[in-house]
Amino acid sequence: MINYLTVLFSISVVYLAVTERYRVYSRLLAIQGIILFGITFAELTDLKWYTLLFVASETLIFKALVVPYMLNRIILRTNVFKVHTNALSGFYSLILIILSLLASIFMANTLKNPQINTVFFTIAFFTLFAGLIIIVTHKLIISHLIGFLVLENSSFIFSMAVGNEMPMLINIGILLDIFVGVLILGFFGMKLKPNINELSLLKD
Amino acid sequence: MYLNSFFIFSVLLSVLILLFRNKSVTKFIIITYGLIHLAFSIHSWTNLGKIDLGYFTYDHTALTFLTLLSVIVAAVIWHGLIYVAEDDARKYNIYHISLIALVTSISGAYLSNNLVALWIFAEATTLAVAGLIYHDRTVSSLEATWKYIFLSSVGVAIAFIGILFISMTMKGSGFVDLSFASISAASPNANPLYLKIAFLFIFVGFGTKMEIFPMHTVGIDANSVAPSPIGALISTGLVNMGFVTLFRVYGSLSDSVISAWMNRILIIVGLLSLLTAAGYMLKAKHLKRMLAYSTLENMGLVSIALGIGGRSHYAAILLLIMHSLIKSGLFLQMNQLYRALGTVKLDESGRYLKIFPAGAVVLIVGSICVMALPPSGLFYTELIIFRELVRGGNWFVIITSAFLLCCIIYAMTVRIMHVVFSPARSESTNITKEKISPWETLSQFLFFAVVIILCFYQPPYLKDVINQIVENLF
Repeated sequence: MINYLTVLFSISVVYLAVTERYRVYSRLLAIQGIILFGITFAELTDLKWYTLLFVASETLIFKALVVPYMLNRIILRTNVFKVHTNALSGFYSLILIILSLLASIFMANTLKNPQINTVFFTIAFFTLFAGLIIIVTHKLIISHLIGFLVLENSSFIFSMAVGNEMPMLINIGILLDIFVGVLILGFFGMKLKPNINELSLLKD
Repeated sequence: MYLNSFFIFSVLLSVLILLFRNKSVTKFIIITYGLIHLAFSIHSWTNLGKIDLGYFTYDHTALTFLTLLSVIVAAVIWHGLIYVAEDDARKYNIYHISLIALVTSISGAYLSNNLVALWIFAEATTLAVAGLIYHDRTVSSLEATWKYIFLSSVGVAIAFIGILFISMTMKGSGFVDLSFASISAASPNANPLYLKIAFLFIFVGFGTKMEIFPMHTVGIDANSVAPSPIGALISTGLVNMGFVTLFRVYGSLSDSVISAWMNRILIIVGLLSLLTAAGYMLKAKHLKRMLAYSTLENMGLVSIALGIGGRSHYAAILLLIMHSLIKSGLFLQMNQLYRALGTVKLDESGRYLKIFPAGAVVLIVGSICVMALPPSGLFYTELIIFRELVRGGNWFVIITSAFLLCCIIYAMTVRIMHVVFSPARSESTNITKEKISPWETLSQFLFFAVVIILCFYQPPYLKDVINQIVENLF
């Protein structure tokens, strides 16, 4: 079961890296939230029921509902539906993301450890690279925000590796999600225009 | 117990500001907060070595930087009250609530004996600083705030992954908490590859706070746009918080097999920081940005000093203490310069000595101090660092850093001399210029005086405290 979910999650990451429509980004982030909910239930078997419930509700409520809802609100408010024309094209993004998948497999195997699940490691590294690729190769700041949300999912998967022994770390990771995510989305939604592609007032 | 009271007081005072929404009351509250912070810092020395609330320890490192913070906060509050005097009650109150939140978070981070607790306080500083950078509500401040929140959040997320890697190395070691003592105890038997990855992630992540390469851009933009008193706090108290984090992580991992590797990384990052600072300072057109790059330069030197070890560790701590006094003084001066000239842009500034002589003298003395020219105390610390480099035979580092420091001295001297003596190259668009009381430069002169005295005489107690910090590192 858990292997199916991780493969599904990887496919969603690939799709996320190559897509060009913000509504698709929003849906994919919601799907990732649901998949993470499934992985949590399958993996974190040693947790106390209330910790598990907290983690699960965070993935379902925050990742799968609140974030996509706020993103949709921003998209509707600003009428920005597609990534900037100068962003890296889907083809090159696909090549980059495949290379990063290979790099992730290599790194996870290099770091092979009997106590750590290699599949989780691969996916976590892959998601980390995907988030960074989205941030670096896109022009609009709404894309940077999506890259950050992908990065957050990566840290969530990393925390799964030690979740059973140190549940506190997962809770802290969730705090990061809620705190920073809402702050950035809120600040973004209220003040910044997502179609600004050049934040260049401050330069030397 | 005392820390608990301090946290409760901080929250209580913030709530009182929210409840009263009156500028006079807020003024009284923020002065009270400054006094409470100072009293807390001084009293904390009586608890040296004790643990409070499980996650905080009153050790030499924490108390030194906490006391330094109290001194800087006193000046920041004073100059902040001048800066926001004309603001409406809402902005005035948000500014002071954010200031209390920032100072309390930094204090909590200094005292944390646990990596996770420290990380939480670091995250809290991001939120508090955001409110302060956005204070002026301009397009530039919006851009700087967005960049600060975004990059800091990415940094914090990366640091979190680093913490997770450390926790992975501790799996099965019997330690289930992430206190620095546990990390230190578990690190000699930990997987070195995991430790290296953890150190890199934490270094890059918390580098956003220490304003060191490659995450220095966060601080540069923030310092150039934030109100000058806040710039003074960001480039000292917050930067020191980033240093304390890296210092504690470095100390915890120093018994492991990656110790030599960490030193090499620190030296490389230090050199890259110097290179970046020199490059940008040579083309700086904005005085506050130039000062921010000077912070990058000094953090680069601190990183090199940590990396080469020996007596340089002593120099690194002393450098940080003096840098905090100088840089806060210079940033506080920037607000007076802005009020006198109507700008902080290089081309629009000039004849400062004629317009505000006291401020011009502050600028000259401050820049001599920050450039580490005698009689600045920084000269003494850099002398120690270079002496250790010569002892270690690190000729590449010596030649490169000496060349880059010369570039920095040249860039800074040319700019400061222009502002003080030469006429402006172009007219400032801002015509609102004020007459400033020379008394406002008092805190800056006091800070610089301490730095100059430290060049010739370091009190035995200070020496002892710094030696204790260095000894406790390993």
